[in-house]
Amino acid sequence: MTDRPRILLVDDEVAIQRAVGPLLRGRGYDVDVARTGTEALDMFASRSPGLIVLDLGLPDLEGSEVCRRIRMHSQVPIIVLSARGSETDKVNALDLGADDYMTKPFGPEELLARIRVALRRTAAGESPDGGILHAGALAIDYDRRRVVRDEIEVRLTPKEFELLSLLARNRDRVLTHRAILKEVWGPNAVEQPEHLWTLVAQLRKKIEPDPAHPRYLVSEPWVGYRFVTDES
Amino acid sequence: MSTRGSEAWRLAAALAAIGAVTLVLGPVLGTSNASTVSTTYLLVVLLVAATSRLRVAVITSVTAMLCLNFFFLPPTGTFTISEPQNWIALVAFIAVSLMASRLSAVAQARTDEALSRRDELARLFDLGRDVLLITDSREALSILARSIARRFDLEFVAVALPRAGEWEIHQAGGEPVALDPRQLSSAYAAAQTSLEFDAYARTYAGHRTISVNGRDIRLVPLRIGTRPIGVLAAAGRPVEAGTLDTLAGVVAIAVERAYFLEQLKAGELARQSEQLKTTLLASLSHDLRTPLTAISVAASNLKGLELTDAERLEQSDLIQSEAARLTRLFENVLDMARIDAGAVAQDSRWTHPSEIVATAREQVEPALRAHQVDVLIDHDVPVELDPRLTASALAHLLENAGQYSPPGSTIHVDVRLSEEGLVVQVRDHGAGIAPADLPRLFERFYRGAEARTRTSGTGMGLWIVRGLLAAEKGRVWAENGADGGAVFTMTIPVAVKELEPAGSPGS
Repeated sequence: MTDRPRILLVDDEVAIQRAVGPLLRGRGYDVDVARTGTEALDMFASRSPGLIVLDLGLPDLEGSEVCRRIRMHSQVPIIVLSARGSETDKVNALDLGADDYMTKPFGPEELLARIRVALRRTAAGESPDGGILHAGALAIDYDRRRVVRDEIEVRLTPKEFELLSLLARNRDRVLTHRAILKEVWGPNAVEQPEHLWTLVAQLRKKIEPDPAHPRYLVSEPWVGYRFVTDES
Repeated sequence: MSTRGSEAWRLAAALAAIGAVTLVLGPVLGTSNASTVSTTYLLVVLLVAATSRLRVAVITSVTAMLCLNFFFLPPTGTFTISEPQNWIALVAFIAVSLMASRLSAVAQARTDEALSRRDELARLFDLGRDVLLITDSREALSILARSIARRFDLEFVAVALPRAGEWEIHQAGGEPVALDPRQLSSAYAAAQTSLEFDAYARTYAGHRTISVNGRDIRLVPLRIGTRPIGVLAAAGRPVEAGTLDTLAGVVAIAVERAYFLEQLKAGELARQSEQLKTTLLASLSHDLRTPLTAISVAASNLKGLELTDAERLEQSDLIQSEAARLTRLFENVLDMARIDAGAVAQDSRWTHPSEIVATAREQVEPALRAHQVDVLIDHDVPVELDPRLTASALAHLLENAGQYSPPGSTIHVDVRLSEEGLVVQVRDHGAGIAPADLPRLFERFYRGAEARTRTSGTGMGLWIVRGLLAAEKGRVWAENGADGGAVFTMTIPVAVKELEPAGSPGS
């Protein structure tokens, strides 16, 4: 058993602190609580948490600003919580480097699952650019630009491979439409999501067992896509 | 009057000059040359014509002619003329002098007209500037009427606009004049059917003069292009018809401008209210989601985690307080809907003020947990009011005080009776209210500078307080206390139970 992972919980609502704090402690995490963005940045520096759960509606700083400042120094996983129901907040935060998001109200198991996935990804080390990734029946060989599904090679166009490897390298993370468009098509394409929709549909036909109910390339409605490695 | 007077003086001077010329040329110099005499007379007539009105010049001409005939043309001393050539001289004289008078008078009239045009143009220009400076759409037309009266020195000015079958009249000037709507309507109807300007007679279609209480009032149609939009009424200093018409044009533009300003303002208001709704939805959504999350997580903690007794208590406590928070939010939304629907009914009964304070404190107990509440009730005698509405309103004020003053500080509740009824004052030791927020504090969804930095809070509370108290004919206001904290005062008209005569000091 290694050190208990340390989680920094940032939320100005006492009720959330009182409920989520015990939940995380009860599941074996050490928890620090910050009530403001400034406090969060201080605690991030002094306690070096292994993961940050960050509410976007803070009294002093925008949550996305906190995200941006932390990303200047560290790749620590950040899960943002949003209560405003507005998509722009969380898309902003994700674009600024957050790994995942949850909309309040959420169930405890959902939060714990997201935390596990995010921690596992960091434990597996920084996403390697080389090597082979196995996910279910899928094997992605980054070096040879080959994809094998159920022992059979899948022929992908260069763009399709680029999209798949981008998502796979960021597996279990939400990538926003904007971020994907920028990475695969370049900065001028960020306002043209239709490219992305078409490409995702093509890719799903080739790699998904059931393209209508994707298992690997999961949509996050209005936000982006996520490459899921988990069997569940 | 003064022009009349000066005219008489000029005439006297002219006649005196004729007399002097007659005297000097006749008895003094003994001139008998008719052409010398008539040229000299002509000089006088021309001088008079150049400086005086036509009437004066004509009288002077005729007098000079008579003098020439009487004193100088033989036979002198009579009005008869013997030599025919003298007839010619006489007729030539009167013809030249009359013509000169006429020419001079025309020139003078042109000058006068130019001067008065210049004057009116200056007034119109000033008025145009006034019109452009009007920014308040509601007061615009009254300001406009006042500006016209001031710029044109008129005793009475009214801008009348037909609005849904009625005449909306904005007037300015000394005493108000009751304009007859029928006369306005008839002038307006005439303006709609004809649009001629008779350049020769200088009359304008639709202009008319009416008499109200023996006062002549001129009515001029207001036109945008050819479309009439109302009537301008003016009385006092005579203003030339052309100028009145131009003036009416400026006024019509000003009326249109005021209308556009109003539209602009309405658009701005609609946009603001749209923004308010968005803000409300965002904060309502936040205020709903937070307790729901806490309840859901805490409930699962109770079920799934191994907790000590103290921890279990803490989690169930959390569920309770968050459920109470949801209930409170729900009640607020319900109150708001009731106030909106005008469904807040007063249900008065006899109560002690202390009961109201106690009920209110109970309703918002979680918000006051970190504060000391200091209650001072001057006379705890039964009063008749709606205890539910009053306590609910007070609860909002207490909740606010709890939210906006530092934990551990004291909140004072002072209750007393005055002529206005029951007066309840809530004072806190917070940062007070920013002066910019004071006027808008009780607007729905308005959130002060301090409140906007918080994520929760919907800006409904104080609006609800006002709505609840209005149902009791009470009122509420806010100010900053001497020590900087916020002070909210509410008053409710009440009946007070007659105190029984003080009993004899018992044994």
